[in-house]
Amino acid sequence: MQPKQSIAATGNNLKIVSLISVGKHPQSGRVRRADQDSRAVELGMKLLDSGNPTGGDSLVVLHAGDPKEPGLRGYAGMGLNSVQVLELDPAADAVAPLGEYLQQFAPDIVLTGVRAEGGESSGMVPYQLAEKLGWPIVPRVADIISVEAGVAEVLQALPRGQRRSLKIRLPFIASIDSAAQDARQSAYGPASRAMMDIEIVDSSTDQLRENWSEAPAKKRPKRLKVIKAKTAAERFKAATAKSQSEGGKVMQNESAAEQAQAIFDLLLEEGVLR
Amino acid sequence: MIFEWLHPFLIVTALVLMVIGAVRRVNLWRAGQSDQIDLIAGLMAMPGRYLHDLHDIVERDKYMSKTHAATGGGFVLSAVLIILVHLLGIDSQILAWALMASLALMFVGALFVFKRRLNPPSRISKGPWMRLPKSLLAFACAFFVLTLPAAGVLPEGTGGVLLTLVLTGLIIWGMGELFFGMTWGGPMKHAFAGALHLAFHRRQDRFGAGRSTGLKPVDLSLAHEVGGVLGVAKPTDFKWNQLLGFDACVQCGKCEAVCPAFAAGQPLNPKKLIQDMVVGLAGGTDANYAGSAYPGKDVGNAKGGPNQIITEGLLDPETLWSCTTCRACVEECPMMIEHVDAIVDMRRYLTMEKGQTPNKGAEVLDNIIATDNPNGYAPASRTNWAADQNLPLMRDVKEAEVLFWVSDGAFDMRSQRILRAFVKLMKAANVDFAVLGDEELDCGDVARRLGDDATFQSLATRNLAVLSQYKFSKIVTTDPHAYHCLRNEYNDFGSDALNGVEVLHHTSFLNELVQQGSLKLNSFSGGKVTYHDPCYLGRYNGEYEAPRELLRSMGIEIAEMERSGFRSRCCGGGGGAPVTDIPGERRIADMRMEDVNSTGAELVAVGCQQCTAMLEGVVEPRPQVKDIAEILVDQLAEELH
Amino acid sequence: MTDQNSFDVLRRDPRAERIIRNRLHPLHDTYINTGAGGELTEVRGPSGLLRKNPHNVGFIGPNGIKRIDRLKGNAAASGKGRRSSAAQETLLPLHQVENPDFYVVVVPDMVGGRLTGQDKDVIGQAHKLAVGIEGNGAVLAVCFGQSKEEHFDTAGVDRLLLLDDDSYEGYCPEQRLAALVQVESAYKPPFWLFPDSVNGGSDLGSRLAARIGERPAAQAWQVDNQTSICRGAAGTIDITRTTPRLLLLAEECADQIDETRHEALPVELGAVPTVIAKLQDQGQVAVDPNAISLAEAEFILAAGNGIHNWDQFHTAASILGATEGASRVAVDDGFMPRVRQVGATGTWVTARVYLAVGISGAIQHMQGIGQCDKVIAINTDAGCDMVKRAALSTIGDSQEILNELMTLVQQFRTQQSEGGDQDAA
Repeated sequence: MQPKQSIAATGNNLKIVSLISVGKHPQSGRVRRADQDSRAVELGMKLLDSGNPTGGDSLVVLHAGDPKEPGLRGYAGMGLNSVQVLELDPAADAVAPLGEYLQQFAPDIVLTGVRAEGGESSGMVPYQLAEKLGWPIVPRVADIISVEAGVAEVLQALPRGQRRSLKIRLPFIASIDSAAQDARQSAYGPASRAMMDIEIVDSSTDQLRENWSEAPAKKRPKRLKVIKAKTAAERFKAATAKSQSEGGKVMQNESAAEQAQAIFDLLLEEGVLR
Repeated sequence: MIFEWLHPFLIVTALVLMVIGAVRRVNLWRAGQSDQIDLIAGLMAMPGRYLHDLHDIVERDKYMSKTHAATGGGFVLSAVLIILVHLLGIDSQILAWALMASLALMFVGALFVFKRRLNPPSRISKGPWMRLPKSLLAFACAFFVLTLPAAGVLPEGTGGVLLTLVLTGLIIWGMGELFFGMTWGGPMKHAFAGALHLAFHRRQDRFGAGRSTGLKPVDLSLAHEVGGVLGVAKPTDFKWNQLLGFDACVQCGKCEAVCPAFAAGQPLNPKKLIQDMVVGLAGGTDANYAGSAYPGKDVGNAKGGPNQIITEGLLDPETLWSCTTCRACVEECPMMIEHVDAIVDMRRYLTMEKGQTPNKGAEVLDNIIATDNPNGYAPASRTNWAADQNLPLMRDVKEAEVLFWVSDGAFDMRSQRILRAFVKLMKAANVDFAVLGDEELDCGDVARRLGDDATFQSLATRNLAVLSQYKFSKIVTTDPHAYHCLRNEYNDFGSDALNGVEVLHHTSFLNELVQQGSLKLNSFSGGKVTYHDPCYLGRYNGEYEAPRELLRSMGIEIAEMERSGFRSRCCGGGGGAPVTDIPGERRIADMRMEDVNSTGAELVAVGCQQCTAMLEGVVEPRPQVKDIAEILVDQLAEELH
Repeated sequence: MTDQNSFDVLRRDPRAERIIRNRLHPLHDTYINTGAGGELTEVRGPSGLLRKNPHNVGFIGPNGIKRIDRLKGNAAASGKGRRSSAAQETLLPLHQVENPDFYVVVVPDMVGGRLTGQDKDVIGQAHKLAVGIEGNGAVLAVCFGQSKEEHFDTAGVDRLLLLDDDSYEGYCPEQRLAALVQVESAYKPPFWLFPDSVNGGSDLGSRLAARIGERPAAQAWQVDNQTSICRGAAGTIDITRTTPRLLLLAEECADQIDETRHEALPVELGAVPTVIAKLQDQGQVAVDPNAISLAEAEFILAAGNGIHNWDQFHTAASILGATEGASRVAVDDGFMPRVRQVGATGTWVTARVYLAVGISGAIQHMQGIGQCDKVIAINTDAGCDMVKRAALSTIGDSQEILNELMTLVQQFRTQQSEGGDQDAA
């Protein structure tokens, strides 16, 4: 969508970190690379490709958790030589060790997904990291258009495919929206071959979470149009009214204008005309 | 004759050059990967294979088969006799007469080749190939005249300097083409490489009326090796006998004539593909290629070498992804070259090393990996289609006569109609059957054809693990792709789950039931019917007769399409082609529907859900498309109680 | 309170009934003779006979049909009352909180300056939580930017903090966060409620949570003062946990307020320090609706074999603001790119409204739109599968109907912009 531009025209060597987590397929619940996180890696790779031609830029793909997790291989298959893993119990709190790592490594851009596909998926990690590091955070980024003189131009995804342009000073954290470019295919060969650079870190268990109970999501009933009936007649009418979904309405002999009006009314009622 | 020493010298020179060329050529092949082939047994079997297997294919074109027998047979015999008569100087009038007879035979054959080349069809290559009949004639004439004295027809020393010079010229030309050119890359290379290809063919099972169509598994341990490559990246990544096979190509273009992708204007021409592989193994460009190009692409831009990545310069990946793996080219190839193997090998590299499966390919593979079906449905919804069918589950019954392999058609509403029809037929015939239910996974066909052998192998081993828990004597499936995988490709994974199990396509199974009298059918009265042979049932598994017999048992007289049986044209739905979706000028399914229309049929019977989907995708008005099970179920005689 | 209710609720008047029953009652005549309009129904005619005035007998029923009044004037009187109440705007009872002991703070999204449905759900939730705490609680809404909302009172806002300085315009999460931190120290609310939405609520809520060190409950959909149920793992699990101080609430988490009116009294906040923003809003970027991926589009205009005027189709899509889709045939024929194909072999769509023009509905296509909420078909064949599936089908020339539709939508748009109503999401 955007013209390819020189990302680091000034020749500053960008240090990019993409944070990855273990994803979960929505249908099968099977472990996979998470959708938004893999887009974060894709964006990191794109910045790398289009950046400093002398190759001064670097991308670190970082995970905090179990290095043996097969879901990580999915990211490696995008063509990574290695994945940096801070080894800790997957149930432990990852923010503290990640924050320490980032503080030491001092990257320019940290890319994450908006929400994890497993666990609490509250989307708080990037905010907590930003708070800890004192960096700005841009949520729901669709693309990073340019990085020049320590300022990045970023496109933020808004609902219904809209975009907002933002300028942000480095270093910053960006959470990558599902509207960002699709991650490239994960290939089996590189996925199997990639190295896991493991660093064992101290972590504290997430005590708050131990008291939580988890269950498969129940289907939430759609809210019904509640009819506040004040009289028996109204209640009777509400109970016996023909349900709307029964069969479709077919307009065959009406004029085109009438037909168009009916469609228009339905579109308006559904709230898709804005 | 003057210069008595000259001609033997020329012969020796040509022969020496030929041997040098042969060694060089063999070394090019040997750059490929090793393959376990019994060399001696292969060489011993070679003449038989030439006379039976190869000749059976060539025999489909009577004109060419006779021509080739005369030319080729005459040449081989002449070559041996020339060595005896002119090189070793054995003075025997019988030999000389025999040589003249064989040269005459060759001459007559070459005349027919010449005649064929006067107005050649577009499928055959021109260029040096146009020279070949003339070279053959020159060779035959020259040695004929040269032998006359030895045969005692002419006295020794007849002819002057002029005749000698003309003869010498012709001999150099003839031997240059036929001896030197044979191993240095001329058109006659096909004889040398072709003969050895017959001996060392990668699929030895194909000979002796055998069939070998299952793809060979990739050694996945290469994925963990540094520098390992999955699939074929460079020409030298092919097995050495695959390289040899490419060299055997005679550029007759039979493959091109039957290729559905070529006809649809997609950028694939099997002949050019094989020639590009030859360019790759020998190094150079395709500038000398004189046949049809890939549709929409120019000749002359391809460059390659034995150690250069094929898809970077030699071949556009689109060419590889256009293939529907219908095997029509392999079926037609007189040199028994395995185009599909080569294409899938190269796809494997693109998918498993580069991650470049085009269009929806990557998504489909991701879905298969994550949900065991190509569309990403919840694995637990696999049996939703049969909610009202009350099917016995293997998990519950543990044992059944027949295991019904439902396939991914379970997720597709159109295919579900076929599945229901088949279940109804089995119930009507009181077959003791069960299904795997949610334990069944995708058979891996699409993943494998898209080059993802890792996923195929994972699915295969998991499916086999499930199958090994239960007892059954037959597996029946309505999906020829699953049928092919189960029957031909699941044997490579060291499981005995399928030992002694008969894998059947539903048409074969239903045919058995009808012939046994377990199914009573009314006769069909719905107009003209034609039958479309699914590639994976016909060419891959040789089942042409059972579906036809079934149709006949309903009193249907099949209006055969011009291309039917082993020459059936693909529907365009195989090999992941609808997923990779390489644009062409036309759609393969539309062309197939034209074939159907030309028979005037009102109904086309099919034995594959993929074919059904593809053919039904043709814009109406068109003949109805029905699976044979659906036709049968309508004709099922209701029993009176 | 009571005088409003008398309009709505049918009340019997036992005295009047008694008088009607008792013919000897001195007031009997006045009750029995008063018709619906208050005039006498029985008049002594010139000949001295009692005459009934049929026009005054009975009353007009709710369906506009005249009814004989068996209860005599009693019901007629109330019937009159009811009819007039229907026409009158119902004035809901006012819920007043004087000197609240605590505030439950809601930060609504205010998309386009108005409360969204989700905002109102969250306010409803706030009241539920406020009731669960001892003492007198008020719901405080903190709204940023220019407000066009006129119904804070009926939405359930007790106190309103409107921060509509220029410094809060546009995308300025850092400045807004500073204000929220100020609210935190000024009011120490027992609960902070945000809509967990893409319209900014979840962003601002997360920022505040990180700043004040709270661990929020995200995608919470069933909340009381003790426990909350939240969607976790991308909506595939329900987490039951104790209710934290800061909640990011899912849509339809609680019922909206609809039976009371609230004061919506403005409150003031001390000066908020101006933050040096590291984020600079450069404004919205124009986006082609066709850049939206088909799978995510909420409104799809899809074309099939029946479309002949493709230019018109593309114009229609842009006027309607719809994402373009296509049937397989339209793609195969080269009119539309492959990425636009809807169906089992193309993209599976989840649009709320799917407007299919000239698509008869092959089974593969129908599978692809299985999850669409409302399907509208424009087709020439009333018997095709798409018409069977559609909630509304118009049979006729698609070109004509699309033309009319475009005119209607254009009119609608001009009206909207005249009203100065353009929502910027």
